Order: sequence, then structure tokens, then C-alpha cells
Amino acid sequence: MGGLQKKKYESGSATNYISRNKARKKLSLSLADFRRLCILKGIYPHEPKHKKKVNKGSTAQRTFYLLKDIRFLMHEPIVGKFREYKIFVRKLRKAYGKAEWGTAEKLRGNKPGYKLDHIIKERYPTFIDALRDVDDALSMCFLFSTFPRTGKCHVQTIELCRRLSVEWMNYIITLRSLRKVFLSIKGIYYQAEVLGQIITWLVPYQFAHDHPTDVDYRVMATFTELYTTLLGFINFRLYQTLNLVYPPKVTHSQPAVMLHFDLLSDYLTSALLPFLPPRFAEPRWPPVPRPGGLQEDGEKLAERLKARQDQDRQEKLFEGLKFFLNREVPRESLAFVLRCFGAQVSWDKSLCIGSTYDVTDETITHHVVDRPSLEKQYINRYYVQPQWVYDCVNARMLLPVEDYFVGVTLPPHLSPFVEEKEGDYVPPEKLKLLALQKGERPEQEEEEEEEDNDDSEEEEDEDQSDDEDELKGMEEKQALGKASSVKVTPGEAKPVNRQRAEQEAKAEEKRLAVMMMKKRDKYLYDKIMFGKKRSVREANKMSAKRKALDEASKANKKKKLKK
Amino acid sequence: AYSSRTLHLQQSARNMAAARRHKRVAASQPGFLRLKPDLDHSASRIGHKKRVNKNKKKNWNKYSDIQDVEEFLEDVRLQERATGGLLSDKSDDGLFFVDVGEQKKKGKGLKPLRIDLILQPDSQVPPPKDILAYQQPNARKLRLMAQKAEKLAAMGVLPRRERLLQRRRIPGSEKPVANNDPARAFYDLWRPDRPDTADPYYLEQTKRRLVKRPEKLNVKPSLLPAVEVAAPGASYNPDFTSHQALLLEAHETEVAKLKAEEKLARQLAVRKEDLATEESVFREQVEGLIEEEEEKLEAEEDDEGTAVGPTAQTEKKTEKQRKREKADRVKELQKKAERKAIDSRQQLFQLRTISAELRRREQQTSVRRTRRKDQQEREKVQPRRLGKLRFQAPDLDVQLSDELSGSLRTLKPEGSILKDRFKSLQKRNLIEPRERAKFKRKFKVKYVEKREFREIQ
Repeated sequence: MGGLQKKKYESGSATNYISRNKARKKLSLSLADFRRLCILKGIYPHEPKHKKKVNKGSTAQRTFYLLKDIRFLMHEPIVGKFREYKIFVRKLRKAYGKAEWGTAEKLRGNKPGYKLDHIIKERYPTFIDALRDVDDALSMCFLFSTFPRTGKCHVQTIELCRRLSVEWMNYIITLRSLRKVFLSIKGIYYQAEVLGQIITWLVPYQFAHDHPTDVDYRVMATFTELYTTLLGFINFRLYQTLNLVYPPKVTHSQPAVMLHFDLLSDYLTSALLPFLPPRFAEPRWPPVPRPGGLQEDGEKLAERLKARQDQDRQEKLFEGLKFFLNREVPRESLAFVLRCFGAQVSWDKSLCIGSTYDVTDETITHHVVDRPSLEKQYINRYYVQPQWVYDCVNARMLLPVEDYFVGVTLPPHLSPFVEEKEGDYVPPEKLKLLALQKGERPEQEEEEEEEDNDDSEEEEDEDQSDDEDELKGMEEKQALGKASSVKVTPGEAKPVNRQRAEQEAKAEEKRLAVMMMKKRDKYLYDKIMFGKKRSVREANKMSAKRKALDEASKANKKKKLKK
Repeated sequence: AYSSRTLHLQQSARNMAAARRHKRVAASQPGFLRLKPDLDHSASRIGHKKRVNKNKKKNWNKYSDIQDVEEFLEDVRLQERATGGLLSDKSDDGLFFVDVGEQKKKGKGLKPLRIDLILQPDSQVPPPKDILAYQQPNARKLRLMAQKAEKLAAMGVLPRRERLLQRRRIPGSEKPVANNDPARAFYDLWRPDRPDTADPYYLEQTKRRLVKRPEKLNVKPSLLPAVEVAAPGASYNPDFTSHQALLLEAHETEVAKLKAEEKLARQLAVRKEDLATEESVFREQVEGLIEEEEEKLEAEEDDEGTAVGPTAQTEKKTEKQRKREKADRVKELQKKAERKAIDSRQQLFQLRTISAELRRREQQTSVRRTRRKDQQEREKVQPRRLGKLRFQAPDLDVQLSDELSGSLRTLKPEGSILKDRFKSLQKRNLIEPRERAKFKRKFKVKYVEKREFREIQ
């Protein structure tokens, strides 16, 4: 046959993809370098739709990259830097092998390095793009800053991460834009609002953890390298929007001493903040005028005004209160959260630098303790457990302190990230919270309920028996034909509730329409309703379970009391 | 190297020759005293030697015996080393002393240490004079040089050394700040740049402007959020229902795993029918040994061997047959055309059914379209298969009811955030799932007993 026949796998998807090894060889890089380059440039492998075509008939599982992406990679300047580094390592190894120490020292002094600034500018052309990706960067930086400085990971990276995370926390404190906190068994989730973007990040607890072995450290280190650079630039820009000096300087009464950066960062969290300028007008997003009816605008504006007022109130949650943190509470997290809402915080002097006042200060309003009991207690302050702070932040109001006293069983810590829809099950604690927010005070009612619970059962029985007796009496009288004591009196006009009447009319109409549906349509309608009511049914199931548990626990309590 | 060495030797030989001449003359004087007496009197035997042609260059060095001169010179050198000069030049007092017999016993004087003695110079030859130390700078010369340098500096011309040093300093090649230096500086990266005034083609060719990033790379590979908040049951102090819901989820995944294992075990289990019974064992052993069965087999084979039906023999088709076939074909075609015409006319009456059919088909396609769109949306959130290994969902972090601690102080964190982040990166299709590389041996390990142990019985 002639050569004009179309051959298989020469055009189409087979030529759009390239396997990982081929791509690596095209760039003449080692596998580790290739992975690092892909991570830094943001080039990810693709899963093609028709793997067999791309793989030229074979079904072996391979990693594929788009050919255009790899061609784009070839123009990257840091590929040259990787190759230089490889040669540098080779020369250094030779010098060590030949015991040429002078050469080795000289080579070490001229170690090749590369910068990632142009890559960040290329991947995030505007500042808002970068802000959208900062969740990941923050979580990674906070994670790395808690690593032990053993040398397994570059100590410099850990220190840089610590510095950037402290700077970010400082910014959030200045902006007062922390919205939600959630303490999980994994770590602490924070959510804040920065320049209109909602940012969620995860911070591990400060306890020592052993590291899992099946995590690729090189990959994580490369991601961290990229993210630290990104976060550094973002921090600079954010500080610039607030007209603050970057990097933040430490001014303290003690003479300037060269401190380990760890302590320096504690300085930043503690010493820097009293010296910041007082709160000024932050840039707020003005309401965007929308095309629409006047009515809509009025409503929306009213809503936004209300939201802004709520926000202002929320930001001053702990203003004017003075807190003291005991030794066993997580100091950094609590200091951050409290300062975000305007409180003054301090701790024991021997713990860390930056404590402003001592335990014995009389003006302390709240003392955060996590012990089962405390011997010495001052009168003018509340002794609370740390969960009170977090719950107040999530509830956006100061919760009653009695539930969080020392030694008291804490109420459950609810997640603020859960949005309950209409039919879903709402736990009773959340209902209590919502009620509190609306301004009712159901705790007193609850106390009464608890006291009466033991008697209520007996009372109910009594009531029922009374009713029964009455009915029996009336029946007897009628049977006897006597005039019953019940008389007919002129009726009273009940005020018609217009809204209720409308709702009832609507419900009637709906019921009629449902009755008049065709069988086929009714079948579909029933199916839909079944699905909708599923959540309601589940909620009922959950509440029944909860009730059962509560009763069981009450029974236990009674038994204990009796004993 | 050989030539330079011979040159060096020749040079030294020439220098020595001059010194030797002087000392030879001194030694030939009658009263010359030698340190070592020559016992041989070899001077008498000097005349009887083999006759050699001394005109050849080769023989100048070969057959010239300078042993006597060398001896003498060694003697002279020894004298100089031991006493600092020729013995003949010394005065009597320096060489001899009158032994009066003084026995002044020095009181146990501290003898110098042997190591100190070893370290003292062992020759009396004085060290040579350092000429350079005695060189006096020529004041005039120095003054002139300084003036010249001043004039040049005033004009702006630097001396050569400074020029070379400055040329070596390439701008930007000073020690670059490492990427992870904790004290590194940042700047405003998103500052609006000054627009490039140069030609864009020039900028591209000289690599001052980087290649444009393709638009496809700005699309994220997954729509999942970067940080997924844990379920409310994972709180350190959860409320009852959410904790139960989380436990239920964990329970269900475990049950599914168990089920899969059980299914596998069931499929691989040995069936009771496959077990060997005595009868089947006996039959297998006896197979092919009994004669009756052999005859039956042979009979069966014979029956199967005969062919069934007559074989067809090909005959040539006649003209008639060909014409007939052609006519048949034409008739078929006509019939088909008629049928087609009738059908298209009758379709007018089948409009209702046709439209019903069309509606049904449209509904099907729309249903399929919605299903496909849903599938696409779902795939945007799923972890894709990017390599050899599949994505393994991470275990749910959940603390059992008895592990729950009511207080933050006694909390034992569950799960590692490092692993969580790693899995999140895999889930969002940013990296492919990989496992740790196993240690593979190229050659098999061989264990050999040592000779000593082999001998022990």
C-alpha cells in the first residue's frame, strides 16, 4: 500500500499527551527535579478520556501530562538552575572525595540558587487570585512551623514558616476579621474574612506528634517552598493596605538582645500589639447598587446595614475585658483569639516573654483555667474554662459564664461550620444557643424544668385522672337526664388572624390541587414528597434517640441520688 | 624534566669547579694539614691508567676521576661545618688548650635536654646574608612612582589590579539570598509595572519577557476546597448525635471492608464437590486399565470417522442461469423501490405515532444529557486515576466514646495534619498517589559459612 494511509496513534489524543518518563527525558531532568518543577509551576498530570488511545493500544496505567504543558515548561529559566545545581553537587562530591578542602569551601561559597518570584507572578497575576489560594499556603506554613528542629527538614524553612504565620496572625488581629473557630481532634480550624474573601485554615495543636512514614517529605517541602514565598508576598501587600511597616519591628522596653527567632516571634505576638496604632476605619466593601425595583434595594440595604451593625458589635466582643491565661491552656491560640476581639491578655512571666501583668493584678476580669480545681481564688474575676472563649466567638455574644466554671461538665463544643437546613435535626444545645442569641433567657426555665421533672410525671398522672373523673361525672348526669351544670352562654367573636387565614386558604388550595392530579403525576409527586420528608424523618429519629439517651442518663442520676 | 636536571647539575658542577680550583691550589701547598690522612698513597699509581680518548664529549665526564678533589672538598666542608672555617685559618688558641688539671666540679648543673640539643643547628656554617633585607629603596624612584599613580588616579584611571577586580564583580552574582532564609525580604509583587517600551519581539528573543502561560493551566484540577472542615462529630467535645453519626460512618466503612474480605475468602474457599472421594480416587487410578472400556471407546471413534453427506462439486454456470439471476436481481430492486414509495406515502397517515416516537426519543436524549452533565460535575470533584496506584481515602479521624476527654488539657490529638494535607493534595489531583520505593536487591544474597565454622562438626 502507499504511504498516504493514515496510521494509528499519529494524530489526535495520542499526540496530545506525553507520559511522565518521556517528559522527564525531554527536559533532561531527574525524576525528583521533574516533580519539583511541576509542583512549582503548577503543572498537574491529566487523566485522558480514552486511555487506550493515548497509551497506543496498551492498558498499562501511566501518568500522562499534556504535551503543550511540557513544551511550556521547557522555556522556564529555573530548569537551567536545576541543572547547575546537579553539576555543583557533582563537583562538591569530587572535591570531598579527593580531600580538596579548599576547593570544597570555595564551591560551597558559590552555591547556585533560584528565585520563585516570577513563577508566583505568572501563576497569580492579580492579588485577589493569590488570596484565593492562600488557604492551602496558610495550613502548610502553620504545620511546618510546629515541626521539631531536628534537621530532618531545613531549620531555616521552619523558622521562615514561623515568621510568616506570626505575621499573618498579627494582620488578622489588626483587622479584627476572625469569624469562626472550631476545635477538632485534629487541630483548630479558623475562618476569617480578608478583603471580601473567606479564608479557612487549620492549625495543629502544639503537642509533639510523631511523623507518619508514608508521607513524601520532599513533595511537602517543595510545596512549602512555593507557599512560603506566596505567603510572604501576600503579607507584604496586606500590610501595605493597612499602611503598616513590613516586616513588623519589635519595640520592647528591654534592651535589644539577639534572640532565637522562636522567642522573637513570641515578642511579635505579645510586644508588637500594644504598640500598633488604635483601630482605624478599615476598607469596607460598599453596597453594590443593583438594577432592580426600589423595594428590593431598600430591603437589601436594610439587610446590609443590619449585617454591618452586627459585625461591628461582634468585633468588640471582648473589648474592655482583661484576661489571664493559666499555664495549662493553649496560650498562643487563646491569645490570638482574644486579641482578635479586643481583649487584653497576659500570662505567667516564667512561661514566655511578653506578659504585661501578673496573676495578682486586681483588674483582671476573667481567668482561663483548665484544671479540675483551683485552690486560691480571687473574688472579682470569673474562672472559666477555655471553651467559653471559643463558644462566645462562635455564638457572637458573651455566653453565660456559669456553664463554663472550673470543674463543671462543659456543654458540647458545636461546629460553627454546620449550616442546618429547614428539615434537619438541630441538637438541643444549638437550639438553646439560637434562643440565647434571640434574647430569651431559657436557662432559668430549664432549671425549673429540671427541678420539676421528678414531680412532673406524677402531676401528669394526677391531671389525667382528674379529667377522666370529670367526664365520667358529666356522662352520668346526661344519662340521668338531669340538667348538667354546663350551660349555653352567648359566644364571643374571636379576632380573625388575617395572616393565619391566608395561610389556611393557601393550604386548602394546595390540598385541592393535589387531589385533582392525574394518577401518573400523583405518583411522581408522592415520590418527590417522600424524598423531601426524608430529612424530617431522620431528624425525628435523632431526636427520639436523644430523648432516650437523656432519659437513660436521668434514670442513672436518680439511681445514684437514691443510693 | 631530565634535561633541566642535567642543566642544573652542570651549572652546579661549574660553580663547584671554581671553588675546587681555589682549594686545590691551597691543598697543593706543602704545609697543608688534612683532617683525614690518606693511607693508600694512591698518588703513586696515577700514571698506569687505561688510555681513553678524552676529546669526546661523552668521555669528559665518564673518564675524569675527580675523587681526590671530591675528597678534599668534603674535607674542607667538614672543617667548615665542624669548626666554622678552615683549620689552617684558625689561631692556636682556638684549636688547643693547656690542660692544667682543673677539676672544678660544676654543681650538678642542669644539663640541656637532649631534645633541645637535637633542635640546635648542627653546623657551624653561618647562615647566608638576606640581601633583600639590606636593599634600600631608591627614594627618588619611589617618589616618581607615587606621583605617577596620583596623576592617573586624578584622571580616573585605576591600576590594573583594581580594574580586574571590579570587572570580575558581575552585577547580580553576589551571594543570592536563599529561598528559605528566615530573614529574607519581600516586596510588592503586584505593583503595576512600567509598560515595556522595547519591541515585544526583541524582548522575547532576548528572554527578558517570559513565555505566556497557557490559559488551561489556570483552571484548577479539582473543585474541592483546599481545607475541608471536619464533621461536627470530630469536635474535641462533641454533642451526642453528631458523634454518633460520625461513629456510624466509620463503622460502615469498616463493615464494607470486612464484607469485601469475606467475599474474597468465600470465592477462594474450596467447594465440597471438589474434594476427592474414595470413588473418584479409585476411578482415576484405574483409568485406561480395564479392557471392556477400551472396546467401547474404539467403537465410538469408528462411528465418528465416517463423513456425512455428499461433497458438492462446482459446475460452471450457464447463460440461462446468469440471465435468470440478473432478472431476479432487477425484480428485487423494483420491489424494493415500490415498497419504499408506498411507505413514504403511508407515513402521512402515521404522523401521530411518528411524533410520539420522536417525543420519546427526545426525552431519552434529554435524560441522557442530564445524566451526562451530572456525571461530569461529579467527576470534577472526584480524585482521578493519575498513575499506577489508586487514591486511598484517608481513615476517618474519630475518637471512641471512652477516648473522648471532656477537657482541652487531657485531649490526645487524633490523626496527623501532615498526612491530612498530603491526602488532600492527592484528592485534589495535584500530585499522583505514590508509595515508598522498596529496596530491591540486584543480586541475590548468598550465605556462606566461614572456614572455621565449617570445620567444626
